[in-house]
Formats: sequence, structure tokens, C-alpha cells
Amino acid sequence: MPKKQRVAIVGVGYSTVGRDTGLSLDTLTAQASIAAMEDAGVKPADIDGVVVHSFPHQYVSATHTAAMLGIPDLAFYSGSVDGAAYSMAALHAIAAIASGSAETVLTLRTVHRAGAAGGSSLVPGMERGAPGPFQFTMPYGSFTGSHWAGLYMQRHMAMYGTKEEDFGAFAVAQREYAIANPSESFFTEPLTIDDYLSARYIAAPLRLLDCDYPVDSSSALIFTTEERARDLRQKPVFFESWAMGTTQESDFSLVEDMTQSSPFRAARRMWSRTDLKPSDVGVAGLYDGFSFIALQWLEALGFCGIGESGPFVSSGHTRADGVIPTNTDGGACNVGRRHGANYFIEVTRQLRGTAGERALPGRPTAGVVSNAVGPFSGCALITAE
Amino acid sequence: MTESPPLLPAPDELTSFFWEAARRRELMIQRCSACGTYQHPPEPVCHSCLSFDLGGAEVSGRGTVYSYTMATQAFHPSFADKLPFCIAVVELDDQPGLKLLTNIVDLQADGVNVGDPVEVCFRALSDAIDLPVFRLVRA
Repeated sequence: MPKKQRVAIVGVGYSTVGRDTGLSLDTLTAQASIAAMEDAGVKPADIDGVVVHSFPHQYVSATHTAAMLGIPDLAFYSGSVDGAAYSMAALHAIAAIASGSAETVLTLRTVHRAGAAGGSSLVPGMERGAPGPFQFTMPYGSFTGSHWAGLYMQRHMAMYGTKEEDFGAFAVAQREYAIANPSESFFTEPLTIDDYLSARYIAAPLRLLDCDYPVDSSSALIFTTEERARDLRQKPVFFESWAMGTTQESDFSLVEDMTQSSPFRAARRMWSRTDLKPSDVGVAGLYDGFSFIALQWLEALGFCGIGESGPFVSSGHTRADGVIPTNTDGGACNVGRRHGANYFIEVTRQLRGTAGERALPGRPTAGVVSNAVGPFSGCALITAE
Repeated sequence: MTESPPLLPAPDELTSFFWEAARRRELMIQRCSACGTYQHPPEPVCHSCLSFDLGGAEVSGRGTVYSYTMATQAFHPSFADKLPFCIAVVELDDQPGLKLLTNIVDLQADGVNVGDPVEVCFRALSDAIDLPVFRLVRA
């Protein structure tokens, strides 16, 4: 029985990212993988695990990716199509290394912009009508994440008095970070609360500026054991704790409690496995596929009280000088949809000291990352030592 | 301009009771014959007691608005002439936490609020399909 291994992040990388790159899923995947291997200082032969998260309509195979990259033999691989996007790839890889199933694992999330907004075109068999569970949503005009996002936001507003301006304050704070990240952000013009409130609704109270920015992208991170990490190019950072969480109901619109969905369960589980506390954490990467999701994570992770994320954000507490600097790369609303991976990459850069001009003052020693909301989610606590 | 045909459900063996009931202007929800628990959408097994002995049962058709959103963008051409329209989650009175996604129809200028009482009504989508939707119960 191998002993339980401490797991380190040793390499991060992105592909070319753009609205319409013309690059295939495999090409993007190869670009990001090579960038992460160069960052870590490892070769394909050093890698013995590949874990990919992708969706069926944009499937990326772990075994094919390994073959494409010349990785000779996989001790562990997984192609997850279920649940909380990149964090699932990360948590599967952590579990594989911690258990001794593999030593050095390449984790990936690759997305194409096409089809990002969802809709009936993605569902096979639609010519005969909305099938399966879709027959209880699509005939009502509910097609995309924006619809359940509007429902979640409205419920939080009704329960806690959260204001549209609070969601706007998060978008404004993220844009400030994005302006400091011109090489990755698609938006570098200042954003005001009035700009936010003039943006059109998609599914009120959800506005266009609450939505992440659909792009073609691939993101790669390489994890390995502590022992191996010490010999590599970068200062390693370590997974201190991690957890998944789900709800009884698997439909986004029907979860038991929209204001306290799976992030509350994942976060509680994550904190139960560490001595660290929210006050020890100096940087956060919180999923912002829709801006309200980051607000739910602020509550779930205990950075503010339940129901208090609106005033917390409006008071500036996610800014660089706030209680918990959040999404210092600008978040997915600005750097584009990396579907969970950018939070892991940016927090890694902040903790190991490679965030360049975006480096937070007094380098944080612990960071938290999160992904998804509603029926499923994942989160992790990462430390600099 | 011709109207885009409505997006219809495709009933299957698990769900046909729901749509056949709607055709009769009744709201039926899947109920476990063994333990009496309602669940929606229908599944092959009861999530409460794991019985496969399930069927449709008529419910009160009354409930409250759990949450709602006003859709202002159509993601299918048949909704383009309906904007804005209200997508809502309604919690039925028949069992705590028993919810379904629906539309709130016939809204007046004062709109809708979370917690408002609602009752089922039906909208014909085609000769074969009536859609259960909800309207506010006015005091």
C-alpha cells in the first residue's frame, strides 16, 4: 500500500485563446499541455497520468491526448464528462497522486466557443421534440445557464435583499483586475456601475455583464508528488484540502436551496479536512461563469455571512486591498471561459510569486479555488508551502 | 411573417402520463405507490424508497413562486414573439420542496414576486400538447 502523497501544482499553461481561433480541440489541448510542461520543466515521458474534463459535444479523450503528446504509458487516466468542469479533472488527479496511483498528472479543460450559449441545437433528437428532462424545461423557454442563473439571483435578492448593484460591484471589481492583466483579458476598458446597469438583460436580473466570455481555450496544469516537485523548475504550491459536493436534486433549476447549493457542502467538507481557516487565505479564485456564483462561494467558504455577499462585494472586499482579493486575473468574465482552470492557474501564480505586476502585496501563503454551483461543485485550498 | 412552430415536448414511457393529463387539463406529478412521495421530473425509481412502482397522481395545482426570471432573449425562434416572458420555479402545496419549472402567464404591470400564490392553468401548444403553466392567484 503506497503512503498518502502530498500533491503539488508544478506547471500551468494556456493555449492560444480567442473568440474564433480556427484551432481544433486537439490543437488547443496540445498547445496548453506543452506550455504547462515547459513551465514545469517536464517531458512527456515524465507524465504518467492524464485527466480531462470535457462535455460530450466537445469531447476530448485522455488516452488520445496522451498518444498525441507522445506520453508512452498512463498509470492513470480519466475522461470526466460529469459535474464541475475543470475542478473535476483537478480533483481526480489529486486523488490519483495522493493514493499513489500515478506520480505526475496532466490535467486539462478545453472548450470551443461554438455552442457555448447552449440552446436546442446541442440536444440530439430535437427534431422529434424536447427529449428526456428537456421536455420539462425547453417548452417553457428555458434553454441555457442564463435562465437558471436569473432564478438563483432573484431568489437571493428576495431572501436577503441583495441588489442588482451588488452583482454589478463584483463585475466592476473584476474589471479592475482585468485592466492589470492586458495580455490575457479581452476587456481592458474601465467599467462603472452605470455601465453594468445599462447592459442588457438576458434573463432578468441576469445581465450580459454577469456572463463569462465565451472563447476557444485550453488550460493545462501539471500535478505531482511533493518529492518530485522539489526537483522541478517552479516553486511548487500544494493542495492542502479539497472536496466535491452535490445536492439531492440534479437539475439546476430544482435544487433544494438555490441560495445554499452544493458549494456549501463542498466548502464545509474542505474546511473539515484542514486546520486552516478563511482568515488564513489571502487570495481566491471563485468561479464566475455567472457573477452571482462567486458571491455564493464567498458565503459558502465563510468569507462573509450567509446572505451577506451582496454588501460584502459592494464594500470592496474582493478588491486587492479587501478582505479576500478575488479573481485577480480578471475572472472568466474578462479572460474568457476557461471553465474553472483559470482560478487554479492564477492562484498558483499568486502563491508561487509569478503573477508579475498583478502580484498581491505581501505574497499570500494560502489561496482557495472553486468551480460550479447548483447541483455539483468542487473546491480546493492551496498553500505556498 | 409566419410564426415559428412551438418547441414541443417528446413524451416517453416515463412522462406520457404528465402530458396526457395536461391534455385533460389536469396536473399530474409522478408519485411512488409504495411510500407516497412525489417527485419531478419523473424517474424510473423512487428517490425516497427505491421502489419501481410509480405512477402519475393528480395534485392540487396550487403552489407558491420559489423564484422567477424574465427572459429577454429568445434561444429558440418560437419564443421571439413572446419576449419578455416569465420563467419560474413553483413549489407545489402538495409536498414541501416539490418544485417544477414553468411559466407564469397573464402577468399585469405589477409583475410577480417570490412567495406569490399561483395556480395551474394550461396553454395549447399544438393539437396534441397542452402545457401546464401557472397564473397568480389574485386576492
